[in-house]
This record gives sequence, C-alpha cells and structure tokens, in this order.
Amino acid sequence: MNETSIHSTRSSTSSETIFEVEDITVEFGMDRGTSRVVDNVSMEIERNEIIGIVGESGSGKSMFASTLLDAVEEPGQVTGTVTYYPEDGEPVDVLDLDEKALRTFRWEEVAMVDQGAMDSFNPTMDIETHFKETLIAHGSDVDGGMEHARELLTELYLDPDRVLGAYPHELSGGMQQRTLIALSLVLKPDVIVMDEPTGALDLLMQRSITGLIAQLHERYGITILFITHDLPLIADLADRIAVMYAFEFVELGPAYDVLKHAAHPYTRALLKAVPNTMTPLEEMAPIEGDSPDPVSVPQGCSYHPRCPLATSKCRETDPGFHDVDTARTAACFHWERSAAAVSYTLSGPNEH
Amino acid sequence: MNRYARRLFQSVFTLFVVITITFVLYRMMPNGPIEAMQQQLVSEALAKGENPDMSYINHMVAIRTGIDPNTPMHVAYYEYMRDIILYQDFGQSIAFNAPVFEVLFYAMPWTVLVSVYGILIGFTTNIILGAVMAYYEGSIFDTGSTIVAIVLNSIPYYVGAIVFLAFLAFQWGLFPTGGRMYPDSTAGFNWYYIQGVIHHAALPILSSVLIGFGGTALSMRGNCIRVMGSNYLRVARLRGLSDGRIAVRYVGRNAILPLYTQFMIGLAGIFSGSIIMEQIFTYPGVGWYTYDALVNRDYPLLMGILIFFSVITVVGVLIADLTYGLIDPRANTGEKEGY
Ligand code: SF4
Repeated sequence: MNETSIHSTRSSTSSETIFEVEDITVEFGMDRGTSRVVDNVSMEIERNEIIGIVGESGSGKSMFASTLLDAVEEPGQVTGTVTYYPEDGEPVDVLDLDEKALRTFRWEEVAMVDQGAMDSFNPTMDIETHFKETLIAHGSDVDGGMEHARELLTELYLDPDRVLGAYPHELSGGMQQRTLIALSLVLKPDVIVMDEPTGALDLLMQRSITGLIAQLHERYGITILFITHDLPLIADLADRIAVMYAFEFVELGPAYDVLKHAAHPYTRALLKAVPNTMTPLEEMAPIEGDSPDPVSVPQGCSYHPRCPLATSKCRETDPGFHDVDTARTAACFHWERSAAAVSYTLSGPNEH
Repeated sequence: MNRYARRLFQSVFTLFVVITITFVLYRMMPNGPIEAMQQQLVSEALAKGENPDMSYINHMVAIRTGIDPNTPMHVAYYEYMRDIILYQDFGQSIAFNAPVFEVLFYAMPWTVLVSVYGILIGFTTNIILGAVMAYYEGSIFDTGSTIVAIVLNSIPYYVGAIVFLAFLAFQWGLFPTGGRMYPDSTAGFNWYYIQGVIHHAALPILSSVLIGFGGTALSMRGNCIRVMGSNYLRVARLRGLSDGRIAVRYVGRNAILPLYTQFMIGLAGIFSGSIIMEQIFTYPGVGWYTYDALVNRDYPLLMGILIFFSVITVVGVLIADLTYGLIDPRANTGEKEGY
C-alpha cells in the first residue's frame, strides 16, 4: 500500500518548516454528542510560502487556523501539538504556552486577519489608537512602529493621514480590510493567518486584495496561510493548496498541480462547480449532497456518500493519504480513476 | 455645526410651545383658575347675603392671579411671554405670596441635590452590576440578579420609599423622618450643617436609586454580552491588549454608550418623580411645592413649575443630543446608527 503520512509531502521550492501541526483535534461538547470540528489533522507549513486552505464553510478550516494561535474559544477542546520554529531560537510548543508567552507570541510571531474586517475595529476608537495600543501592549517603540504603519498603509494604497485619523465607520469595507492587514503586519510577524480575508468584499476588491497580499509577501517574506472557500481566488496566489473536507485534509500539493490535475474526487467536484476562475464559488451549482455533520462523520472515507467512485472499501476503511507524486498527496483509494470519473475544465488565468 | 444650530432652535421652539400651552391652560381651561376664582368669590358674596359685584370680583381676581380678565387675549399673551422671557417673571404665588421664581429658586437646589445624587449612584450601581452579571453570564449570580432586577424594577419607587421611611426612619430611627437639615444647625460651610443635609437627603436619594433600578442593569448586561461576543473584542485579545484596557476601552465604553441618552432623559424623569418622593419624605424641594400648589390651587406656581420641569427635560435631552457626538464618533457622520 502506498499510504504515507502527509508529513512527507514537501513543496519543491522551499524546505524549512515554520509550523508543524501534529494530530490536531478540536472538539466541542454538545447536547447531542461531541462535535469534532477538526479531526486528527497533521501538516507542515514551510517558511515563506503562501499556503491556501480551501474548503466549504463548516469544513473546519477556520478552527484549524485558530489552533495555530491557540485561539480556539471556550468551550472548544484542542488536542495534539502545534510546533512553531522561529527564525532563530528554540521551537515553541504553541498549545503549551502560558498566558503571558501566548500574548507575546500572537501578533509578534503570528498575526491573524479575521473574516469580519468590518467588525474588527473598536467602533468608538480611531484607527491610530488601534495601532498605538498594539505597539504599546507589546512594548514596541511607538514612533518607529507608527512609521512602519504608515509605510504599510501606503503600500496598501491607503492615505496614512486619512486612515489613521478616521474612525472605523468612516472607512469602506475594502479600506478596513487593508487597514486590518496593515495592523496585522505592524509588529513584523513571520506568519499571517488570513481567514477569508476577502469574504465581505465584492469581486473586484477581492482580486485587488489578493494582489496586494502577493506584493507584501514578496516584500517582507512572510509566511501566509490563506483560508478560503473560493478555490480559484487563490489559484494564482498560493504556492501550495490544501483542500479540507469534513474536518480533515483530503488533498495537498503544489497549487498548479492541484488545480490542473486534481487527484481527489472532492477537489475535482469543487473545480467542476467553478467553470470559470472569475466566478465565485457560491454562485455556482453546488456539489450534490450535504456536507457532513461534525457530530456524526460517515464511516470510512467521509466523502463516500457524495463520491461517484465510492466502493465498499471506501465505506468501510478510512483511505489515509496516498502519494500522487513526490509533492502531492490525496486521501483517496481510487484517485487514479478520479480524472476519468469527474472531469472539469479550467479557463481564465489558470490556463497556463 | 448646522446640526447643533438646528437642535438648539428645536429646543427653543419646544420651550416656546410649552410656555404657550401653560398660558392657554391658564386662561382658557374650563373651570380654570380665573373661572374658579370668580365662582368662588361670587359664592362667597352670595353666602354673605351680598350682591356679587363683578367689577370688584374681577379686580380681586386680577390681584390674586396677576391676570386681568378684561385684558384682550392677545395682549395678555404678549405680556405673559414678555414677563417670562425678559424678566423671568412667572407671576406671584398665591399661597406663598411671593414671586413664583423666588419660591422655585430656593427649592431647586434641594431637589437637584437629591435627584442628581440619586441618579448618579443609581446609574453607577446598575452599570457595575450589569457588567458583573455579563461577566458571569449564566451563573447562579447572573440568574439571581436578573430576577432581583426584574422584581425591583416592577416595584414602584414610592412603595420602596414608604417602606424605607417606615423601617429605617420611624421603626429604627436611623434617619430623620422629614426635613432638609437639623433644625438647630446654621446654614453655611460647617460640618454639623453638612452632616444634617446628608443625613436628611440619604433616604430620598436611596429611593431615587430605586427608580429604574434593574432596568439599566439589564440593558448593561445585554450590551456587555453583545460587545464581548463581537469580533473586534476577539481581535483585541489576539493583539495582546491587557485585560484592563479591553474591559474599559472596549467593553465598558461600547456597552455604556447606548445607555447615555437613557441616562439624560432619566434625569428629567427623576425630577417629576420628586413630586411624590418629596411629599413622602416631607422634603421641601420643587416636588414638594408642586404638590402644595396643586392642593392650594396655586395656579401661577403650578404653571411656573410646569415650565421649570419642561426646561429641565428639554435641556437634558439637548445636552444628551449635543454631547453624544463627542463620545460616540459614529453620531457625527450624518446617518445615525440606530440603537
Ligand atoms: S476514498 Fe473512495 S469514497 Fe473516498 S473519495 Fe476516494 S473514491 Fe471517493
């Protein structure tokens, strides 16, 4: 059996690990049973890469992202280990940090840009104070930090004087989103987790923000984890793509390969639902069937109720990861046959 | 600036209308003060077996109410307005035989003392209680306090006042049963006098605190819970801000803001509550004189008080409105957020 762990999968462009996630499970106790919203997930994130995490809403991708900052809110229970490898210094066991260390770790090492940019700022405080209080809370040099903040805002095509003097409600959604990105970078973190950073924006704004993110990535060499339900959105941005289904990863590999020759039937179905990369996923015909309930995930391969290739083996055994090539892996017994079973065509910018 | 000017104009106009209404009530109310006095004098004359002399009666009415029934209405209205606006002359109190303005002017500080402290203490306790309830949301303390707040909120304040008076003053003698100061104290800046003032004001203040008690706490609790669940609070925590800063600058400010207008309007409500309150505590403030004026049919005083309460309400709402923009940046941008 050519079953391997997802750990062995490496992108060919870089090799240094910045985050190592092992056997992460997130559970919520509920009246009708335990809701497992991240199911025993492992992966490595490499320094300086942009990795896209793709999945339908409710697939566990936001929860997965929260574990990287140990930011899963009560009463969620996280098990497993998350190891962070700083540029220099000892590896950090993130889930084991005490409150004080965690406070420093967040935003200084790993910052987060959340889904609700429109609701990320204190409505009764001007933007400048948001920057300043962050610098002060981390004991940073405020003047130098504000200098950097102005640079960042300018790079994001915002007028620093106008934005810093404004209150949140005076900025448009796109401006708030870019301001939040600047705020996340003000302490010069090594990693940024972006959870649906363009969710509330219109299509044009979404594309321009991903363009800006690419620029920042190039300029500051930050590692970016980009979480989205919109596969085509990150097609040109991400180095690698990880597809999440039913609270675990089902396919991981270099972006181009995943898009061009998707191996997992679910990834293929996602791409089939999007005939054109300029069309957002939610406007497309959805994949048939329902996404699984976190309280009772199907036995065997969790995708089998919706999968056209499903066999009795799939219904009984969890497939585990199968290497597609050296850089890519898919959690499917029959990935070799998926191309024939689910066909899709890509158009637009991905047609290299 | 335009908005401020407009609001100011609206307030002035409101007061103008109120004063006009008092005039209309005063002059034209069926069985109003003039008619009532005329009838009274006529029946008095008849009782004495005399023939009522209308011109004499009208003269008497004019002296006692400050209104000459023979003056044409529009002239009377003009004079009424002129006296109030230019000379702060609300006429002569019948019962006290003193200018209405003077009576109110001496009574006012006492009512302000009791009301302002009442609402300040009440508001502060409610805010703190609401915040603590929100912090321990779902706990026994939270549930218990919610029930207590609802119960207290539905007990009329005057019932509370009477209970306080009965037990704390009459039964146990902890507080005086009435008055504003120790009878043997001399007004001025001396401790005995101040102590007396505090001692006498304590029960009325305590009862004022009960007005609206619970209601504000419950609103505060709801606001806190809403803010604590907001995304900006999560981001603030991720940014590593201290708990103190989050509590004050994030939760506190955003939760108290919507209560601010309620607070200013409540100020006016407490003044009107003083009518019964001061009666119960025999506390000669504006409310006490109001009741007195009602009983004595002291119409000039009554009208003066009506205007006085209106001014306080209008000014309170005006201040709330004008300062809201200073404390909530969203209010300044034209489209107001609906709370
Ligand atoms: S393992 Fe079986 S059910 Fe699961 S995706 Fe592959 S073919 Fe479909």
